Amino acid sequence: MPLIPWLGLDHICFKVTLFSTEMRDKLRKWREDNFRNSEQIVDVGEELISEHGSKLGDDIWIIYEQVMIAALDCSRDDLALTCLQELRKQFPDSHRVKRLSGMRLEALERYDEANKHYDAILQEDPTNTAARKRKISILKAQGKSTEAIRELNEYLEQFVGDQEAWHELSELYINEHDYGKAAFCLEELMMTNPHNHLYCEQYAEVKYTQGGLENLELSRKYFAQALRLNNRNMRALFGLYMSASHIAASPKVSAKVKKDNMKYASWAASQINRAYKLAGRGTKENKCSVKAVEEMLESMQITMS
Amino acid sequence: MAEPELLLDSNIRLWVVLPIVFITFLVGVIRHYVSILLQSDKKLTLEQVSDSQVLIRSRILRENGKYIPKQSFLMRKFYFNNQEDGFFKKTKRKVVPPSPMTDPSMLTDMMKGNVTNVLPMILIGGWINWTFSGFVTTKVPFPLTLRFKPMLQQGIELLSLDASWVSSASWYFLNVFGLRSMYSLILGQDNGADQSRIMQEQMSGAAMAMPADTNKAFKAEWEALELTDHQWALESVEEELMSRELDFDGLFSKELPSGIF
Repeated sequence: MPLIPWLGLDHICFKVTLFSTEMRDKLRKWREDNFRNSEQIVDVGEELISEHGSKLGDDIWIIYEQVMIAALDCSRDDLALTCLQELRKQFPDSHRVKRLSGMRLEALERYDEANKHYDAILQEDPTNTAARKRKISILKAQGKSTEAIRELNEYLEQFVGDQEAWHELSELYINEHDYGKAAFCLEELMMTNPHNHLYCEQYAEVKYTQGGLENLELSRKYFAQALRLNNRNMRALFGLYMSASHIAASPKVSAKVKKDNMKYASWAASQINRAYKLAGRGTKENKCSVKAVEEMLESMQITMS
Repeated sequence: MAEPELLLDSNIRLWVVLPIVFITFLVGVIRHYVSILLQSDKKLTLEQVSDSQVLIRSRILRENGKYIPKQSFLMRKFYFNNQEDGFFKKTKRKVVPPSPMTDPSMLTDMMKGNVTNVLPMILIGGWINWTFSGFVTTKVPFPLTLRFKPMLQQGIELLSLDASWVSSASWYFLNVFGLRSMYSLILGQDNGADQSRIMQEQMSGAAMAMPADTNKAFKAEWEALELTDHQWALESVEEELMSRELDFDGLFSKELPSGIF
C-alpha cells in the first residue's frame, strides 16, 4: 500500500492511497457496524464514487446512500445533492429515496417542507417506520422535547419492538430528568438484550441518580451484573464502589447490610487499585498514580453527615 | 435370494435417465423465476405489524423477565393480563376468515400457485410418459408390492416383472421431489421451485389465516404469561461476581488504536 506523506504535516497524518476494493470493503464494514465516522466516509466515498464509479456495479446505490448521509453530517450539501439526484434518477418512486430527500431538507433546516415529505410517505404507506422516526427527530432538532416525547410514546405504542426507539426515549427522559420513565425504557432494552452490559450499566446509573435506599440497592445489583457480563467495564466498577459505599454510609440500614456493603465496597476498591497497577505497569509514574488512586477512593467515600 | 437381474441397455441411461434429470431441474429453475415475476406484494396492515410486535414483547417478557426487577415484571404482567383492562383481555381483533370466494386477492394467489406448480408438473409428467414409454427405466432399491405395479409401470405390460422396476414417469416424479435439496443449494432457501413446501402450505389450509390467529394467539399468550413467575437472576450476583478476581485482559494496551483506518 503506497504511502504518500502529505506535504507540510510531519508525522501526524499520511494520506493513504487505497485500492478500490479496499475502499469498498471499508465502506461496507462501516455500514454493517453502523459507524458514524462521517468525515472518513465522505473522504473515502467521494473518491470511490468519482474515480471508480463504474467498477462498483449495483453496490453504487447503497454507497450513494451511505455517502449522502455522511455528507449531510459534514455540511457537504453539494455532495449530498449529487448523490440524491443519482438515486432519484434510478429509483424515482422509492420511499427510501424520499426519506433521504427529507433528511436533506432537515439538514438545511427547512423543517416544514421535510415534514410535508414525510407526511406524503406515511399517507401512501402507514407502516413506514423510517418516516415516523424522522418526524420525531425533527421535533427533537427544533428543541421541542415534550412533543418529541409524546410522539415517540405514540410511536412505541404501535411498534413496541423497536429497540432504537426505546433507547432514544430513555435518552429524552434522562434529559428531562424523568428517571422513573427512563428506567422503564431501559428495562425494555435489558429484556431484549440480556447480555448487553452497557444497558445494565446505564440502568444502574439511572437508578443511582434516582436515589433512595431501594434504588441504590438495585443500582448496586445492576452494576454488579454489568461487571459480570463484562469484567472490563471500569465505569461499572466505580459505580459498584459508589453505590455500595453510599448504602454503607446511610444511617437507616441494619448492621448486617452495612457490613455487606462495606465488604462489596472494599472489594471494588481493591479491584480498582489492581486495575490501575496493571495499567501503570512498566512506567516510572506507577507509584505516584497508585497513590493518586488511593487518595481518590478515599475522597469519594461518602461520609455520614 | 438371487433374482434374475435384468440388464438394461446403457443407452437408456444416456438418453432417458439423464435427460429427465436435466428437464426436471431446468423446469424447476424456470418455475422459480416465473414465481418471482408473478409474485404479488403482501401488504401488511399497521394493526398486524403492531400485533405481531406485541406478541413478541410478551414472549420476551416471559423468557427474559428474570433480568428486570420484580416490581417491573409485575407491572408489565399486570398491564397485559389484568382482568378488566389488560391488553390481552381487552383487545379483540375483527376476525374475517379469508375464504377464497370472498377475498379476491387470495383467489388470484391460489390460481397463480396452481398455474406455476401443479400445471407444469402434470403437463411434463404426461409428456414424459408419452415420449419415454414402453421400457423400463430404473430400479428402486427397495422391494415393492404388486399393488404399486399399475402406478409405477405405466406402459409396460409385463405381468411377471418385479414391481421395483419402474417406468420413466415414476423416475420423473422421483426427481421432482429429490431435486428439492439441489434447489436450496443453488437458488437459496425459500425458492419458488420447492414444490413439496407449497403443497404442504396448501394442505395446511389458507396460509394467510392471520386474523383468526391473532385472537387465539392473544389467548395463548395470556395463559402462558399467567403461568410465568419471576425468578430474579440477580439474586446473588454480587457473591458470584466476587468469587474471583476480575479479568482485565485486553483492557490496557501499549498503543491506542489509531482511528478506524
